[in-house]
Amino acid sequence: MKYFLIAVGMFVCAGTIMAQQSAKDSQADTSETSIQRLRNEVNELRKEIQSLKTDSTTTSLTQVTEDDLDALEDNIDQRMQRLENKVDAVSRASAPIVLNPRMTAFINFAARHDNDTVYDAPGGSVISNRPFLRAVEMELGSAVDPYAEAVAIISLNSDAQQGFSVEAEEAYGLIKRLPILETAPLGLKVKIGRYLAPIGISNITHLHDLPWTTYPLVISKYLGGEHGNFFDSGFNPVGADFQFFLPSPVPSATFEMNADVLRGSELGISAGDPGGQTAYLGHLTLSQDWNNEHLLVLGVSGYTESGITTTNLVGGNLMYKWAPSEQRENHSFVGGGEIFFGDHTTPNPAGGTVTRKPYGWYTFAQYQFSYWTYAGLRYDWVQEPSNAQLVTREISVFVSYYTTEFLRFRLGFEHRTSDALAPNLNNTNSILFGANFVFGSHPVEPYWVNK
Amino acid sequence: MVNGKLENLENIMKKLFAALLAVFLAFSIAHVSAAAQKKLNVVVTLNYLKYVTEQVGGDKVTVTALANPKQDPHYVTPTPRMNEVTTNADLFIENGLSLDLWAKNVIDASGNPNIGVGNPGHLIATINVPVRELPTEVSRAWGDIHPQGNPHIWLDPLNVRIVAENIAARLQQIDPTNSGYYQQRLDAFKHRLDEKMYGSELLDLLGKKGGDILTRKTKDGELYSWLASRHLDAKLGGWMKMAEPLQGKEIISYHKTYIYFADRFGVKIAGELEEKPGIPPPAKHRDEVVDLVKRDGVKVILNDNFYSTDAADYVASKTGAKVIVTYIDVYSSPEANTYENLITYLLEKILKAAS
Repeated sequence: MKYFLIAVGMFVCAGTIMAQQSAKDSQADTSETSIQRLRNEVNELRKEIQSLKTDSTTTSLTQVTEDDLDALEDNIDQRMQRLENKVDAVSRASAPIVLNPRMTAFINFAARHDNDTVYDAPGGSVISNRPFLRAVEMELGSAVDPYAEAVAIISLNSDAQQGFSVEAEEAYGLIKRLPILETAPLGLKVKIGRYLAPIGISNITHLHDLPWTTYPLVISKYLGGEHGNFFDSGFNPVGADFQFFLPSPVPSATFEMNADVLRGSELGISAGDPGGQTAYLGHLTLSQDWNNEHLLVLGVSGYTESGITTTNLVGGNLMYKWAPSEQRENHSFVGGGEIFFGDHTTPNPAGGTVTRKPYGWYTFAQYQFSYWTYAGLRYDWVQEPSNAQLVTREISVFVSYYTTEFLRFRLGFEHRTSDALAPNLNNTNSILFGANFVFGSHPVEPYWVNK
Repeated sequence: MVNGKLENLENIMKKLFAALLAVFLAFSIAHVSAAAQKKLNVVVTLNYLKYVTEQVGGDKVTVTALANPKQDPHYVTPTPRMNEVTTNADLFIENGLSLDLWAKNVIDASGNPNIGVGNPGHLIATINVPVRELPTEVSRAWGDIHPQGNPHIWLDPLNVRIVAENIAARLQQIDPTNSGYYQQRLDAFKHRLDEKMYGSELLDLLGKKGGDILTRKTKDGELYSWLASRHLDAKLGGWMKMAEPLQGKEIISYHKTYIYFADRFGVKIAGELEEKPGIPPPAKHRDEVVDLVKRDGVKVILNDNFYSTDAADYVASKTGAKVIVTYIDVYSSPEANTYENLITYLLEKILKAAS
C-alpha cells in the first residue's frame, strides 16, 4: 500500500512536471517541432547508451585480457626465475669444472704365452707366459691463456717384473703466439718440456695407439729405454721443438719441419753415457693427400749430439694410407716402414774410442676388413746397438677388433730369432693378447693410422 | 757408405739449423707484407658451410672446405695438407655441436693463432640455431652422443638462414669495410632460400617482409592455418608445397641425420637402424626395426652414403621397404651441387620412394 501511494505520488509529480514543461514548450514552439526535438533527444540518448555499452564491453574485455596477461607474465616470470636459478646453480657448480683440463684415461692390458723363456731385453727380466697391466695413462690438456696450451700425460708404466714407475711421459707447453708476436709465420708452434720426439712416425705414437701390440724393435732398441719393445714408450726427451711449414718442392704437397734442441744422452743407443750434452734433432716431412682418401708421407730425420761421447742417428720413413670417403664397405689400408742408421762413439778405457754403427728397419701393412676388424703384419730386422754383428729378426701378425674407437682387443703372433740371445733361447714363438680401454674426452685419433 | 756420411752429420745439422733460421726470418718478413689487401681466406670444415660462406662473402672471400663432401663428417682424419691450408686462414668456420670435433686438431696443428677459440677468426656456425635432442644423460654408454644436441641442423633450410646470418655477422666484424656488401648478399641469399621454400608467387604477394613472416609462421607451426585464414594456401609453392604429400609419412633412417629435415617437411621418423649413434646396428635391433617397419607400413629407409647398407638391405629384404642411399652435404653429387639442389634432391628422392 505504501509503495502504491509512493508510485502514485511520483506519477503525479512527473505528470505535473511534464505538464508544466509542455505548457512552456507550447508557448515557444509548435507541437510538431516539439515532437521532433524530443525524438532527436531520444535518439541522442540511444546513441549515448550504445556508446556506453560499447565502451563498457571494451573496458571489460581489456581488463580481463590484461588480468590474463598479468597472470601469464607472473607465471612466466616465476618460471624464468626458476630457470635462472637452475642455470645459476649449474654454472656455479660447474664453474670449477669447466676450467679444469680435459681428461682422458687409458688402460692398456697385455698377456703373452711363449714357447720358451723370454726376456724384456737382453739380460733383463723374464716376461714370458704372464699377463701385464702395461700402462695406465692420464692425459690432461687445456689452454693456459690466449697464448699457450699445456698437455701433461702422466703414465704408470709396468717395468717388466720390477713393479711400476710413474713418469711424465709427456708434459709440455705449446706456444702459438706472444703479445709481441701476434701472428705465427709459417704456422710456427713452439713446444717446450718433455714430449715424444718427432723422429719418424712410430715414436710420436703412444703405446696404446700403436697398430701393433709392441713397438718396432728398431724404435725400442735405438730410441727407447731399457725394458724392450713390449713395454717401452719411445724417445721422450726434455727440450724444445719448433714446428713450421716450408714451401713445398712438390706442387700441392705439404712440407713440414721440426727442429729440436734437446738434452742429450737420453736416446736409446746413447742412454747412460756421461755428458748430458745438448742434442739437436731435425725432421722433415713431405706429404700429400688426395681427396682425404689417399695419404702419402715421406720423412727424414737426423739426430746428433757430441761431447765425451758422440751419437748420430739418421732415419727415413714412408707411409701410405688409403681410406675411401664412402665407407660403405668399411675397408682401409695402411702400410709403410722406417729405417735408422746409428753412429755411436764412446771412449775406450783401453785408449782411443769405440765406434758402433748399427742399423735396423721394419715394414708393416694393415688392412681393414670390416667396421670392427683390422689385420696386419710387421717384419723387423735390427742390429744390436752394442754389437752390429748380432741381428734380431721378428715377424708378427695381428688381428685387432674394435667395439668402438674407445675399446680394442688385439690378438697377435710373433716369431723371433736373435743372435743376441743364448742358442737355446734364440728362437721364440709368442702369442700376444691385448686390451685397450679409453675413457674421458678423448681427442680425435692421430691421422696416420687406423681411423 | 751410409755410415761414412754420418761422421759429418753434426756439422750438417748445425748448418741446417742456421739455414733454417735464415729461411724462417725471410718468410716472417714476407708474411707480414703479404697480409695487406687480399681476399679473406676462409677455411670451413663442411661443404655446406663453404657454399653458404660463398653466397654471403661473394668475391670478397676465398673458401676452402676441409672435408670431402662424401665423407662421414664425424670421422674426418686431419692431414698435413689441412693443417697447412689453415695456416693462413683469416676465418675458420666449423659446424660445432661436437660434429666436426676434428677441427680442433687442425686448428692446433695449423699454428694459426688467429683462428683459435676465443678469437674473431673462429666461428661456430650453429650459434642460435634451435637445437634438438639435447641429451638428459651424457655418457659413452649411449654411443657417440652429442652433448650439445643433434648436430645435423643444415638439412632444415630455416636453420641455414641462421647460419648465413652468423657468417655474415662475422665477416662484417672482421672486414667492416665491406659490411654493406655482405649484408646485401645475405639478404639476397635469404630471399633465394625463401623463394625455394615457399615459391616466388606467395613471396611477391606478401611483399618485402614476406620471407620473415613465413619463416616465423613455419617455425611456430602455423604456416598452413595462417595461409588458409588469408586464403593464400593455394599460392604456396616451393619445397613446402612439394613436401605436402610427405606430411605424416613414416621413414626409417640409418643415423639420426634427418631429424631437422623431417621436422621441417612433416616427415615422421619411425626409428633408426642404429640402436645407439655411431655404433653399427646389432642383429637384435635390426630385427626390431623389421617388426617396426612391418607394423607401421614404412616404405622408405634412408641410408647416408658413408654408412654400410647391410642393415638397411636386410630390413628391406624382410619388409619390401625401399633403401635410398642419400648424400647429405653440398657438392657430394651432381644433383647436390648447391644447397638448394641438395634439399630438392632429398625431397625428390623421398617422394619417389614413398609414392
